[in-house]
Amino acid sequence: MHFGKTILFAFAASMTIAIAPVRTAAAATIEMDVSGLVCAFCAQGIEKKLRAFPATADVVVSLEKRLVALSTKDGADIGDEELKRALTDAGYSVKAIRREDETLDAVRHRLEAKP
Amino acid sequence: MLKFLAGSGAGILLASASVAQAKPIAFANGTTVMAEYGAGTMEEAQAFYAPYYWLSLGGGWLRTDSDIDGRTRDIRYLRANYLVHRWNLDDAQANVFAWGGLGSASGNTFRGNRLDRNAGFQADYETRWVYAALMSDLHESSAYSQRVDTLQLGFAPYAHDYRDLAAWFVVQARDYSGRLYHGVEWAALVRLFKGGAWVEAGVTAAGKPQLMMMFNF
Repeated sequence: MHFGKTILFAFAASMTIAIAPVRTAAAATIEMDVSGLVCAFCAQGIEKKLRAFPATADVVVSLEKRLVALSTKDGADIGDEELKRALTDAGYSVKAIRREDETLDAVRHRLEAKP
Repeated sequence: MLKFLAGSGAGILLASASVAQAKPIAFANGTTVMAEYGAGTMEEAQAFYAPYYWLSLGGGWLRTDSDIDGRTRDIRYLRANYLVHRWNLDDAQANVFAWGGLGSASGNTFRGNRLDRNAGFQADYETRWVYAALMSDLHESSAYSQRVDTLQLGFAPYAHDYRDLAAWFVVQARDYSGRLYHGVEWAALVRLFKGGAWVEAGVTAAGKPQLMMMFNF
C-alpha cells in the first residue's frame, strides 16, 4: 500500500513537471536619466547604439524628460555597465539607471501624457 | 577679422566646423552628408564617417566666388574633425570642435593646382529653446588665404521632442577674408529637422538665397 502511494506520488509529480510551462525571465524595462539630451538630430546615436544590443526590443527617447528607456526581449538583459558604456560612447552622460516594473508602452504613454 | 563677433555678445562660444552650421560629428558609427549653397559666395559639399563620437573622417569640396572681384577657388579636401570637449549639462549641451586637413585647390588667379591646408574650429551651445554657434574655417595655400567666420544665434518657437519636427529661427552673421566679400553678410534662416534629415533655408540682407541640407544615417 505504501509502495503504491509512492508510485502514485512519483507519477503525479512527473506529470506536473511535464505539463508545467517553461518559465523564462520576463522582459525588462530600463530607464536612464541622461544629461545633454537636448537635440533630436544629435541624439539619434543613442537609439542606434542601444538598438545594436541583441537583447534590445525597443527604445524610447524623451528630450523633455531627458530620459532614455528601453525594453529587453524575453529572458534577456543588459547590464548597467554595458548601458552606461553605450551612452557614454554615444557622447552623453548617464545620471541614473533604473529597472522598472511597467512596460515600455506604459513608459511611452506616461512620457506623452500632458503634465 | 573677428571684430564683428567680439561685439555680438556671444562670448559663451568658441568656434566651429566647416562653413556648414551643424556639428561636424553626428554620432559614433554615423555617416553625415551635407551640401550648402551660401548666397553665391560659397558652395560646399561634405561627407564624413564617425568611428567614434569624438572623431569623424571624410572629405569635401568648397567653391568660393568673390563678391568683390570675381576670383574663384575650387578646393577638394580630406579632413579629420575632433571633438575637443563636450559639456553635457542637465538642460543644455556645449561643444568645442577642431579640424584640420589637406587638399588640392585650383582657381582663376593662379595656375595649376596648389596644396590646400585647412584648419578650423567650432563652439556651440544649445538648449531645447536657444542655439548659438561660432565657427571659423581657414583655407590657405601658396596662392591665397581665406577664412569664413560664422556666428549663428537661433531660437525655437516650441520645444521639440525626439520624434517631432524641430523648427528654429536663426540669425547669421558671416565674415569672409581673402577678398571674398566686403563687410559682414547677415542672413535670416529657418531650420527644420526630423529624424536624420535637416534643411535650412533663408535669405541674406542683400536678398540672396542660402540653403543647406544635411543627412545623418
